[in-house]
Amino acid sequence: MPRDFKEEVEVIERSMEDFRGGKRRNVAVISDPFYGESELLDQVWEAAASGAFRVKAGSLKEDFEILERSSAKIVVVEEAHRLYLRKIGGFDLMDRFMNFVSSSDRLFITTWNSFSWKYLDEVLGIGQHFPLKVVLPRMDAGEIRDMLLSGYEEGELTFLEEETEERGEPKIFKRSSFEIRLLSQRIEIPRPVADLGSVRSRLQKKEDKRPPMEAFFGKLARISDGNPGVADLLWKEALDYPEVRDCLTDPPSIDLDLDDSFALSIILSMGSLDLADLSEVLEPVGTSAERAAALLEERGLVFIDGEVVSLRAEALKRTAEHLRRVRLVW
Amino acid sequence: MAENATAPPSGPGGPIPDIGIDPSTIISALLLLTIAYVVVRVVVFLLGWLSERAYEHRITVKMAIPFAKLAIYGFAVYHILSSVVQLSATQLIVFSGLAGAAIGFGLKDLVAEVVGGVVIVLDKPYQVGDKVRIDDQYGEVTDIGLRATRLVTPDDNLVSVSNQMVINQTVANANAGSLEMQVVIDLFIDSSSDAAEAMKILREAAVTSKYVYISNKRPVTILMRDHPFYSMVRARVYVNDIRYEFKFETDVTKRAWEAFKREGIEPPMAGVVDLGGGRAADGG
Repeated sequence: MPRDFKEEVEVIERSMEDFRGGKRRNVAVISDPFYGESELLDQVWEAAASGAFRVKAGSLKEDFEILERSSAKIVVVEEAHRLYLRKIGGFDLMDRFMNFVSSSDRLFITTWNSFSWKYLDEVLGIGQHFPLKVVLPRMDAGEIRDMLLSGYEEGELTFLEEETEERGEPKIFKRSSFEIRLLSQRIEIPRPVADLGSVRSRLQKKEDKRPPMEAFFGKLARISDGNPGVADLLWKEALDYPEVRDCLTDPPSIDLDLDDSFALSIILSMGSLDLADLSEVLEPVGTSAERAAALLEERGLVFIDGEVVSLRAEALKRTAEHLRRVRLVW
Repeated sequence: MAENATAPPSGPGGPIPDIGIDPSTIISALLLLTIAYVVVRVVVFLLGWLSERAYEHRITVKMAIPFAKLAIYGFAVYHILSSVVQLSATQLIVFSGLAGAAIGFGLKDLVAEVVGGVVIVLDKPYQVGDKVRIDDQYGEVTDIGLRATRLVTPDDNLVSVSNQMVINQTVANANAGSLEMQVVIDLFIDSSSDAAEAMKILREAAVTSKYVYISNKRPVTILMRDHPFYSMVRARVYVNDIRYEFKFETDVTKRAWEAFKREGIEPPMAGVVDLGGGRAADGG
């Protein structure tokens, strides 16, 4: 059951009314990946009725003139962050789009990946072209519960207690080792390494004395970081009608070097992108896109489908946390 | 103290007075100092370990190290003077006299260094983790000791700078407690090349680097200065972690020059670039 975008649609509808009344305020809808903003655009599209033109930004790479050819007064551009690549020469199309937006008398309604938006706003100052910014908020546990249970009767579902032992609860100490050389022999000395993520998970679990349903949605909100798209995906995994199994576990923390973290930041800021595009960004800095993508897939952070590499929804929160820690997203 | 009262008066050339500090007191004091030393080593190790796992809060955690050292050693000295030695008025006078003589004749510099260390900890002209230039030495501060400050230079040399020297010197701190710091990257191109295109490329090379940090307070600035036979384009841009300063400079320079070559932007002819004036002379 997708999120209801009533408030956001009303705000955008008002901007369309203002535009018809002669006041233009371009709109930027900013959200984390997987949020489900296309649902919002569908509602806006219905509200706009005739006189609007909708296009995916990816298609403007091949045919930018399609914007100029259109006579529609309201232009809806989906995933506008796809108009740039983080490389030298990778901002030309975005510059062209921004010039078009600022010199046009049309109303632009655009959607953006929040990580790309922050980056582009610092680099190109794109925020000044979109006076009306609709930032899709994180949902709390109650909102997620209402969203996911809206299609069920009260008491229809049974929430089961947390199942941890069978699924292998993350251990506090992981086994690691270091090598020493003694009499030209290499000796491997085992040593324990604390996993702070699992310590935090255990501490939070011990404090949780709530009823199973409340505990489930509390944990779902935390693990999904309040993202309805991610919450919906995890919900589908947990739902075994008419039972809901509490199989949610805090993911382990990410340990990547800077090169692989940079590759991950590029994927995060796009949601998904072609390996060829990833390669264009990474090759000049001496990183193989194929190798980085394969490693990130092995770590369970992305998946590769043909020539497209995409972020895993369930890895969104820990990816963003890791990249903030190493200051690759700000 | 009764023993002291019956002791024969001492004068110039007389026997050394018994000041009532027996060997066990000295051993206790030494033991306490040893324990303080071990505790300091453990605390410094733990804070250092923790700081490296704190990522963006690394320098904040490291700031606690000199305070912890000062507190532990200060407590140890206080405890020795107040509980172990328990100086009487006579002992205090004798001790002060000896200490004064020691400081005056031999330990003057050592005391000045320790006082300098305390001043640095309290005044904070820099902190552990900062990139500083002291005298001719430039590097990351790895330790603020009681006697000296230790820096690791870009060549991985460990340099100890006396704390006494630090408080009498001009200290340049590149990041002042922040994880990011400004890096200045200069590229020189031939006068006939397209300087505007070079500025655009340099800007894009900087903002697309994996080492860059940009915010309202940390903007990217690109400057250009024309000279008779060459032009200089300069990027003032922030690196996201002071440890990547030189990698950042290399990354931006390498990718910018690759793009310059693609766009036909040439370097100046040999011998025309005057680097004698340094960066200050170039302005910007």
